[in-house]
Amino acid sequence: MEALNDLKMLRWSAVALLLVTGMIDLYYGNSFAGFYENLWYVMGGIYIFAAMVIAANIEPRFSQLTVFAYTLFLWSVWATVALETGTGLDAVAYADKAIEAVLAVNMVLLFRSSRRV
Amino acid sequence: MTRSGFGKLSTGRLLMVAAIIAIVSGVSVGLGVGYVIHYDAPTTRTFFLFDRSLPFDENVFGYPHDTFVPDTITVNKGDHVLIHFVDIESTPEGHTFNLDPPYTLDAVVYKNVTVPPGGGVAGTFHNVPGVIIGQGQNATITFTANWAGTFRYICEIHQPTMTGYLVVIG
Repeated sequence: MEALNDLKMLRWSAVALLLVTGMIDLYYGNSFAGFYENLWYVMGGIYIFAAMVIAANIEPRFSQLTVFAYTLFLWSVWATVALETGTGLDAVAYADKAIEAVLAVNMVLLFRSSRRV
Repeated sequence: MTRSGFGKLSTGRLLMVAAIIAIVSGVSVGLGVGYVIHYDAPTTRTFFLFDRSLPFDENVFGYPHDTFVPDTITVNKGDHVLIHFVDIESTPEGHTFNLDPPYTLDAVVYKNVTVPPGGGVAGTFHNVPGVIIGQGQNATITFTANWAGTFRYICEIHQPTMTGYLVVIG
């Protein structure tokens, strides 16, 4: 019973983090208009879609692993571009990436709990 | 019923494989994006901006014959921009340089160089949306291109023709 409660809590915290990250990405695309703002809209849209999939618990083992990988993928893209060019180093990006890091940990815990139950 | 390949792996292994694939592909894409951006380190970019009167009668056509030269300024995000704005009118006619928000600018306006003794500072302005100069005057306008996108710079006196565009590549 306790494991099920933990699973629920982890799932809803993942949904909340995904929604927050998605909204930040949409905000970033809207506020820092340039040649690459559409990429932010796409990334934000995918996060919000992922939030819905996780909330609906569709194919949890596959979707949770995919969201975990997607989070790490975007984090790595950002870190590489930032190191290479010095771009994307602002307060909004820092907040976004900090939440993404928490989200990745959340997804690891959620995935482990899902496999255990 | 046999488990699929996906199900055979332990939780830890699955997470590890997913993490490695995600990070390797993320770094690869990041290197590609970094290359495409062709990023230049922020630098000071200097421009000379003049007014120009096109050879037509503005009273006949119903709009001003004044324009900016150049009418497009392109910089990279983060660049420090220095514009020497010069009023080269042959008649006593003033022009303004106003930049779209959120930009504001610092400016030093110099006296009319065509009237002896000429030169010297006429006024200093900080954090203003625009500046006005008269015949023979010039201004040094500075700001940092912190926001990417396309922003108008206009002469408020000669609209709509005296309009230019600041393009900040982000």
